[in-house]
Amino acid sequence: MKILVLIKYSLDISEIKVDPISRELRLAGVPEKIGNIDRNAVEAALRLREKSGGRVQVLCLGPEVARDGFREVLAMGVDEATLVVDPFGGLAEASVAVRILEAAIRKLGYFDLILNGFASDDGYTYQTGPRLAERLNLPLVSYARQLSVTDEVLKADRDLEEHLQSVEVSLPALVSVAEEAFPPRRTTLMDALNAKKKPVSLWTLEAELGLSKAALEQEQEVESSTRTGIVVFRKQQMFKGLSPLEAADRVIDALLQDGALKGAG
Amino acid sequence: MTAVTGLILVSSENPALVRQLLAKTRQVADGLGWQVAVVSLEVEAAPDCIVMGSAGADIVYTFPGVPDMTGNPEAVTSALSALIEQAEPDLVLLGATKLGMEVAPRLAERNRAAYAAWTTGFEIDPVTHAVTAACMLYAGMGSVTYRFKSRPALLSVAAGVFEARISPRKPARLVEMAAQAGTPRIKVTGYQPKKTGSARLEEAKMVLDVGQGVKQREDLGMIQSVADLLDGQLSCSRPLASDRDWFPDWLGLSGKKVKPILCLTVGTSGAVQHLVGIRDSRLIVAVNMDENAGIFLQADYGVVADLYQFLPAFAERLKARRVKPCWEV
Repeated sequence: MKILVLIKYSLDISEIKVDPISRELRLAGVPEKIGNIDRNAVEAALRLREKSGGRVQVLCLGPEVARDGFREVLAMGVDEATLVVDPFGGLAEASVAVRILEAAIRKLGYFDLILNGFASDDGYTYQTGPRLAERLNLPLVSYARQLSVTDEVLKADRDLEEHLQSVEVSLPALVSVAEEAFPPRRTTLMDALNAKKKPVSLWTLEAELGLSKAALEQEQEVESSTRTGIVVFRKQQMFKGLSPLEAADRVIDALLQDGALKGAG
Repeated sequence: MTAVTGLILVSSENPALVRQLLAKTRQVADGLGWQVAVVSLEVEAAPDCIVMGSAGADIVYTFPGVPDMTGNPEAVTSALSALIEQAEPDLVLLGATKLGMEVAPRLAERNRAAYAAWTTGFEIDPVTHAVTAACMLYAGMGSVTYRFKSRPALLSVAAGVFEARISPRKPARLVEMAAQAGTPRIKVTGYQPKKTGSARLEEAKMVLDVGQGVKQREDLGMIQSVADLLDGQLSCSRPLASDRDWFPDWLGLSGKKVKPILCLTVGTSGAVQHLVGIRDSRLIVAVNMDENAGIFLQADYGVVADLYQFLPAFAERLKARRVKPCWEV
C-alpha cells in the first residue's frame, strides 16, 4: 500500500506574543516544528503500513528549514520525504496552498491513501483535506479515528460532535485524522541514524511543479489587511501569600464589588 | 439569472446556530434591502416556516428525500453547491461545526468561491456590495480582516459569535429543492453515541473550569459542590476530557466556548487553545500554585494557592457570608 502523509511545519502558537498597545502580532522568533496533529497522521500511516505493508512518504509545503523537521518523522519510520519550498512564506491563502499540494501529489504519483491532520496546529482552519478531496476527486474521511484497511476497503470512525460515525470506503481515499487520535511513537538514537540515509527531495514551484508564483498570486480571492493580536484587558489583580480563608475573602470582596456576587457582604 | 436584490444564504445542522446566523444576517440584510434564506438540512420533519420567519428568514430551502443528509458531508456539499449556483447568493454563512468546516472549503473549490474560516464579524459595503470579514487567526491569538474580491463570499461562524433574536415577522416561504442524485462514496455502517454533556454550558452564568492541576477524579465532587454554591456548571480543559475521559466536553478552540458572567478556572495553565474557550467570560478568577502560570495574565483575579486548600475555604466563606450570585433571585 502506498501512503502519503501531508505534514505542516507549524508555528508554536503558544509562543506568539501580542504587543498590548499596538496589538501587533510578534511572530519573529516564534519556534516552528512539524505539528502535533501532523505527527499523529504520520503515526496512523505507519500503523497501517505495519499491518498491510507498503511505503509511507511525506509531503510538506513549507520553508527550507522544514527539512530539519523531517528528521523526526523519518526516524519514526517514514520512508521518504518531499519538501516544496513555499514561495509565499506561509501566507498563501488555502486555495493557493492546495493548488501547489495538488500539483506535487500528481507529480509524486498514485497513492492508495493520503492522510493529513484535520487542522494545522497554527492556522487551524481545516481546509487542506476538504479542498484536496474536491480537486483530486477522492472520497474524504474526516475527523478519523480507528483506521483499518482490509481488501482495499478502509474502515474508520469519524469523531463527530455527538457520536462516532463508523464508515467504509474503497481506496484510494483521503483521510483527515482527529486530534490526538494516534499518539506518535518514541524514537531511538538508532532510528535517528537510520533516518539520515533516507531520501529527502527539495522541490521548487517553478522547476519541479511548473507553477508560477505570479500566476498563483493572481488567483488569490481575498485581500487580507490588518492582522492584529487579540488583547482582552483583564485586571490581573493578584492575591498571593495569603491564607486560603483570607484569599477567599479577598476574591469574594472583589466579586461583590464587580457585581458578580451579591449578599450580606 | 441575476438576482434582483441581494441574497444571503445561511446553513447549519445546528438549530441554535441557525438562529444566531439568521439574527445577524437579518440585521445586515435589512440595512441593504436584501433577502435572507436558510437551508434546512433536516429531512425528518418539515421546517417550521413560522419559526424560521420570526428568526429572520424570508425563504426556507429544503431537500426532501435525502436520508441522513447531515451524516454525509458529500451530500450536503452537492445540495448547497447546486443551490448556490441556482440562487446566486452574495454571501453564504455556514455554522463552524465539524460538518460545516468540511463543507465550506469543499464549496469554495466546487463553486470557485472565496472562503474565510472562523468569522467573528462581517460587513457589506452598501454601495459596492463588497464583503469584508473579521476572522480568527492562529487559533484565536489574533484577528485578520479579509476583503473579498469575488462573490459569493463564504464564511464559517462558530456557535456563540452572534446572538439569536426572535421578532414577529411573516412566515418564511418554503422552497423544495430537488435532491441531488448519486450514490455516496462513503458508506455509513453505524453510529455510536458519545457521552454528551447534559449541562447547557454555553448558557451557564457561572463556569468552574478545571485543568490538569486536579489530581484524581474523586476530587470532582468537592469541586462540583463549589460550582453548586454559585449556580455554576463544571467543565474542563481538553486533557481531562480526551485523555482522562472525566468529562464529555471540554472548553477551548476544538471544544465549547462559554461566555458566563463569572469563570473560575482552577489548575489550568493558560494554553491559548484552552483560553479561546473561556476568553469571553465577563470576569475570570484563576487559581494556580505556580505564580508564573500564563493563566494569570488572562485573569481579572489571580490566586496563587493550592486549589485543594483554596476551594474549600472559598466554599466556607461563601456560605458564612451568605453571598449569592448576582443572577439568583
